[in-house]
Amino acid sequence: MSKQTTLNTRSAIIQVFDGFRNELDDHNDRRERLIKSSRDVTNLSKKVIFLLHRIMTDDASPEDQDDHARAARAVSKSRDKLKEIQNLFAGFSHELQGERFWRYQRAVSPGLQEYIEALSFTYYLETGRLISYHEVQKTLSDAEGNNYFPLSVEDYLLGLSDLTGELMRYAISSIPRRGGRAKANEVCAFVRNCKADFESFTPYIRDLRKKQNVTSQSLEKIEDGVYLRVFRHLSLKVPCYLAAYAVAVRSSEYDLPPEILDDLVSRTMSSAFGGDHGGSTRRKRPREDDQEGMEYND
Amino acid sequence: MDSANLDFINRMLEQDSELREKIKDQVTEFDKKTRTMTGLLNKIHSTPTAQLPLLLDSVQPILESCKETTGAIANLVPANQFWRWKEMWSISLRNAVFSATLIEYLRSGTLLTLPQVSDILGIQPEWQDKFTLAAEDYLHGLISLVNELSRLAVNSVTLGNYEEPLRISAFVKDLFAGFTMLNLKNDALRRRYDSLKYDIKKIEEVVYDISLRKLAPVSGK
Repeated sequence: MSKQTTLNTRSAIIQVFDGFRNELDDHNDRRERLIKSSRDVTNLSKKVIFLLHRIMTDDASPEDQDDHARAARAVSKSRDKLKEIQNLFAGFSHELQGERFWRYQRAVSPGLQEYIEALSFTYYLETGRLISYHEVQKTLSDAEGNNYFPLSVEDYLLGLSDLTGELMRYAISSIPRRGGRAKANEVCAFVRNCKADFESFTPYIRDLRKKQNVTSQSLEKIEDGVYLRVFRHLSLKVPCYLAAYAVAVRSSEYDLPPEILDDLVSRTMSSAFGGDHGGSTRRKRPREDDQEGMEYND
Repeated sequence: MDSANLDFINRMLEQDSELREKIKDQVTEFDKKTRTMTGLLNKIHSTPTAQLPLLLDSVQPILESCKETTGAIANLVPANQFWRWKEMWSISLRNAVFSATLIEYLRSGTLLTLPQVSDILGIQPEWQDKFTLAAEDYLHGLISLVNELSRLAVNSVTLGNYEEPLRISAFVKDLFAGFTMLNLKNDALRRRYDSLKYDIKKIEEVVYDISLRKLAPVSGK
């Protein structure tokens, strides 16, 4: 269609709209394909997270009773799975070249965020630190360092903020094992730092506010869990909101060395729960105030 | 989070929010212009045909001035980020498409193509990844055009112009034939497309009244 002629016949109009149809179909098809791929990424990422939990709470294998060996095994298995997901990203990166990335960002971001969650969990078990933006972007690029697509700060932060929920489950299920309370406290401190860092980003990113609330709840669960699991099964009646703080107080009261307390907890837990060390701590009541749960620790 | 990463994230977020503010200022300008145009164009419903060119001429300079705004926005948007920001100005842009196509219809009875509208709004082909007129926005503008023409069909009769509704009817039916070519998904465009049939019905009723009373020569079409 020349730039000079306006359209004045039906056939000319139909010809132009034919072009629009192809363009719109092309767009919708691409979007559908990317949504499907994103769903595949989500599924694989969830599997990685389950895998990590499974290995970290696996008591059956005697060869790696200490946490480091177990973490190393979890991380190496997870790396393989993560590689699979990275291959998926590489596979559809051609659909996201140039200006297309931002056109389809919303189609791919659910999977991408789930992947970042799995990746950051793996990274935490390996290093005890939070993965940086550049390290995440590096996993999303080929051997020559070309990015499959740009990583948006938004996806990075939202992916990370889901990590706290997984760490909560990890901490809770660690409690019954030897050294578990120390582990739970360590995770607690880490999650608390994450929450503090993320607070300053909250005004910029709409969905982050919701996730920050979830993080507060996770944090509270770890704090309560550290305490509840111990005392409920020692048949001690202490108000639940005293959380991790009570562990310290009571252990001094009973004058037990930490290792013995660990063993005691471990024994009561296994007799009370059988094999179930899942992350289902009972929450007494939801708390309005985010900050409240943070006062009783360390 | 280590401090280098924290700084980096903060810097990125800060940059984006500054950019958003800058784009917002331009979009406010764009919005003012398009609203002034639609305000003026609303007078077509009470302007006799003879005085119409004068009215359209008064809108023309504002339409021309949209070039400055599109240029300013294109300057702000970073490479490849068109789709990230476009929602900020898409309402204004659709209104500009509406104004441009309405003016052209009133002058020549024909439809401006997408490249022609782009050209009028000063949108350069090399801005493809920063500022462009997407098919979706052009089509939204055309639906607004049909909505407006259905009103004009009624009002031109009030002004004693019995031929205009026939012209509008033929034009809108051609345009509608174009829209039926599209496979629309269940989105905003689809919902607005569904409204077209009410416009067409309204126009047909006016045409019926005119032909029944033999107020205008009904040609073959």
